Amino acid sequence: MKALFMLLGGIAGLATVVFIVTVLVFSAYMFGQVAWNAVRRPGQLPIVVRIAFRNLFASKLKTIIIGSIIGGGAVLIVVGTSFIGSATDGMSKSIIGSASGDLQVYAPKLPDGGGDEFAIWGNGMSEPDLGAIDDFSKLKTTLEKVPNVKAVVPMGISGAMVTSGNTIDLALGDLREAENKKKAGDPSVQPRIDAQKAHVQHIIDVLKGDQKNRAEISSESRGQTQEEIDAVNTASNPAWWADFESDPFGKLEFLENKIAPQAADADLIYLRYIGTDMSQFEKSFDRMEIVDGTAVPPGERGFLFAKNFYENTVKLKSAKRLDDIKEAIETKHQKIADTEDLQRLVRENTTQTREIALQLDEIKAKEMIARLQKATGSNETQLEKLLAEFFKTDDANFKQRYDAFYKDIAPLLELYRIRIGDTLTIKAFTKSGFTKSVNLKVYGTFQFKGLEKSALAGSLNLMDLRSFRDLYGFMTADTIAEAQAIKKEAGTKEVSRENAEADLFGADAPVAAAEKPDAGAPRVIEAQTTPGVITNDKNPVKQALHDKEVQGRMYGSGGDDQGAVLNAAIFLKDPAQARASTAEIEKTAKDAGMNLKVLSWQEASGNIGKLVLLFWAIFMFASLFIGFVAAIIVNNALLTATLERVREFGTLRAIGAQKPLILSTVVVEAMVMGIVFGGLGACLGAGIVGWVHSHGIPATADIMYFLFSGPRFTPVLSVPSLFIALIAMFVISAFASLIPAYLAMRVSPVRAMQAED
Amino acid sequence: MASIVSLRNVVKDYYLGKVVVHALRGINLEVEQGEFLSIAGPSGSGKTTLLNLVGCVDTPTGGTVTVNGQDTTQLSERQLTDLRLNTLGFIFQSFNLVTVLSVFQNIEFPLLLQGGMTTGERKQRVEELVAQVGLVEHLHKRPNELSGGQRQRVAVARALVTKPKIVLADEPTANLDSVTGQNIIDLMKDLNRKQGTTFIFSTHDPKVMSHASAVVKVADGQLAEGGKQSGAAAAAAVSAH
Repeated sequence: MKALFMLLGGIAGLATVVFIVTVLVFSAYMFGQVAWNAVRRPGQLPIVVRIAFRNLFASKLKTIIIGSIIGGGAVLIVVGTSFIGSATDGMSKSIIGSASGDLQVYAPKLPDGGGDEFAIWGNGMSEPDLGAIDDFSKLKTTLEKVPNVKAVVPMGISGAMVTSGNTIDLALGDLREAENKKKAGDPSVQPRIDAQKAHVQHIIDVLKGDQKNRAEISSESRGQTQEEIDAVNTASNPAWWADFESDPFGKLEFLENKIAPQAADADLIYLRYIGTDMSQFEKSFDRMEIVDGTAVPPGERGFLFAKNFYENTVKLKSAKRLDDIKEAIETKHQKIADTEDLQRLVRENTTQTREIALQLDEIKAKEMIARLQKATGSNETQLEKLLAEFFKTDDANFKQRYDAFYKDIAPLLELYRIRIGDTLTIKAFTKSGFTKSVNLKVYGTFQFKGLEKSALAGSLNLMDLRSFRDLYGFMTADTIAEAQAIKKEAGTKEVSRENAEADLFGADAPVAAAEKPDAGAPRVIEAQTTPGVITNDKNPVKQALHDKEVQGRMYGSGGDDQGAVLNAAIFLKDPAQARASTAEIEKTAKDAGMNLKVLSWQEASGNIGKLVLLFWAIFMFASLFIGFVAAIIVNNALLTATLERVREFGTLRAIGAQKPLILSTVVVEAMVMGIVFGGLGACLGAGIVGWVHSHGIPATADIMYFLFSGPRFTPVLSVPSLFIALIAMFVISAFASLIPAYLAMRVSPVRAMQAED
Repeated sequence: MASIVSLRNVVKDYYLGKVVVHALRGINLEVEQGEFLSIAGPSGSGKTTLLNLVGCVDTPTGGTVTVNGQDTTQLSERQLTDLRLNTLGFIFQSFNLVTVLSVFQNIEFPLLLQGGMTTGERKQRVEELVAQVGLVEHLHKRPNELSGGQRQRVAVARALVTKPKIVLADEPTANLDSVTGQNIIDLMKDLNRKQGTTFIFSTHDPKVMSHASAVVKVADGQLAEGGKQSGAAAAAAVSAH
């Protein structure tokens, strides 16, 4: 059976080879004849060309068919190449300008270059697992020796969970402050206390509702411990609240520790960030600009939100939806009445009002009701119904509601769950599965000029490099030494994750170790926590390190440059020389004993960069296919035309024309058509590109802003594509004429003698 | 005087599917230089086949055809083409002009195929012939702007532009009215007389035959008894029927 398949495969292969060789030999013979005739009898060439040109007008139907096919093909090539070329260009500007720089370097996980590939936007599900570049300052000095390198920006990209300052935290914070004032003898805060207590009770009601829902869906408590359930039950008991004032701080503690974490889960945000030298980043990525707040001051820890991410993820959903509707109406000229998407947004706004309701304490709720009644002209007294009424917008009232929202409603709300100036607690999952967290002040938001609307360019937030290292589990040389010293003081031994159980508990060590499939190769650094980490772990080593950190705030003495990074962006003086520089950088790094991989922006952007390649591949495939079909159609049209001209060819043969001349007239005619219509098509294509360039195609989807590197697509004519189109059409026509030419050549002169019909 | 065209025992068979058609069954014919020979016969008699063999667009199944001293059965395709180009001229029943070329370009065409002449020489030669056939004011018209008679004059000029020894004409007047046809015959005869070009034409028109210096009749692939007749006698015989 296998032998049979091999035999069939062999025959098919052989047949293909024979076919290709035949086609090649045939083409070579035919074109050879044309060329030889042109050389040997140059005097005939003008008449052949003249006949060819005159024939363009002789058979109109044939000319129209072939002309539109060839012209269309040329238009396709010029427009396609220009569009995709411009999109590639736009994309490269977007990627280079917003994240990658001209080149990216990273250290592969394994010495032979193996391990995960680096990708700025990730490889889908998880962050790539990279080796670390241990000493960035060394990398920088080494790479800066390469003449074309302008700047090296340290980086590390990772993802983290963030608990935003959610409503219950704000409410409890306010309540605690008010209780403190009351304790200090200020009785005027009592209404505020009452309002916040009502607010917290409201939130607990919501949690209890959630609990009930969960119980209905499944008998299991879905990860909720009995302790958590009990806590909610306790706090929802009116009697518990009745004697709140007897022990306000004790009860607050209970709410903060037992209730708030449960309410917080709903507000976890996953965010991706680049840890970098902020000032260097801002200087090198010159399209970056601060939108809200300020840049992180040099040398400080801090966090900057990407504006787009901030708007999309952190902003109050109802407000974001209003913004989206406004944007669609104003830029896409859509109408709510006839756009499914906008109707959905309106519907969501009318039904999902709880986020707003939860935010309001009693006083604010009253005020809100009054303002909503004014805005809607309704006498309704129930807040949620009023909100639904308010958000029930149509094309007629949208503008008024939108303005009213920002003028009257928004001032009563927290529009952003995290405000500029807040301190963020970032929890990051290190590669070994530990959760680490760092407190960072949010200084502001930033965006890249021209990419304001791109969700992709605006998906990576910024963090200072030290905090990044903390969250990733890196230590500077100084802190490692310090940690060793502390450990000695604390009298503990090194504890690695893999054999932590054994080291800490002893007893079942062999069993536990045996269960670990990858036991061995202890990862000391990751098992320890690092300065800057807040931990409630009872591990004395971690606790000691934490204390040390809080006391001294000690970092590597050399600033951001000293210490490990994951990757680095390289900016070149002349980006056109990227390929040569890549080789040079690799060589320089190797000479310096560093195992580095250098990626182009395209490679570094992972699947996004491959999108452009995909465009090209689809375009090439489509072009080849269309070219093939075009060749067949042209071939058929020429065949028909040849059959109509049998008597003419017979006559020419009879009066003394040799075969190569007949052949030449057909082939040259096709070539003339290829050039004339290919040229017209190329001009038309250039005209189309020019028209689109002057008018622009507005970006309507997020990815488009990224592809266009701005809000409009203004493709630039690819000049080489004009020549490519012309040559391609010329070649296609020439090849398509071979079979008709062969038949014409074989017309017998006897045919001239035969009567007309 | 040596024959310019000589056919010896010429046989030509065609295959129509599996059926053999004996188009010519042993023809012997000598044509002298300067003759104005008419080949007469009904449709299907084999006169066009005979003309094809003399015109070197076809080769016999048996026997020999000698044109201008060359045995066509011994020549290659390329050599036959050269023989047609340099020794023969053709006038077709349906004129067979290249429709996309002007009168001038049509007549010039065989000269371009021959090569070897300058543009000026060619121009001069074409203009001479255009004058002879009386088409001077139509020089730059396309064939479809001309009448049937004018087109056939262009064809005559094209046939003669290379100064061929033999001009073959297949029913040259069949698509023309009688007056125009007469004019074409007069033109051909005039050229025959002045330049000594041998004309061989097929026709079944007695008026045309009457102008021939000799007539051979073909019937059922064979020459009629008696071989060549004088044109007048043949015309009278046909008219008598």
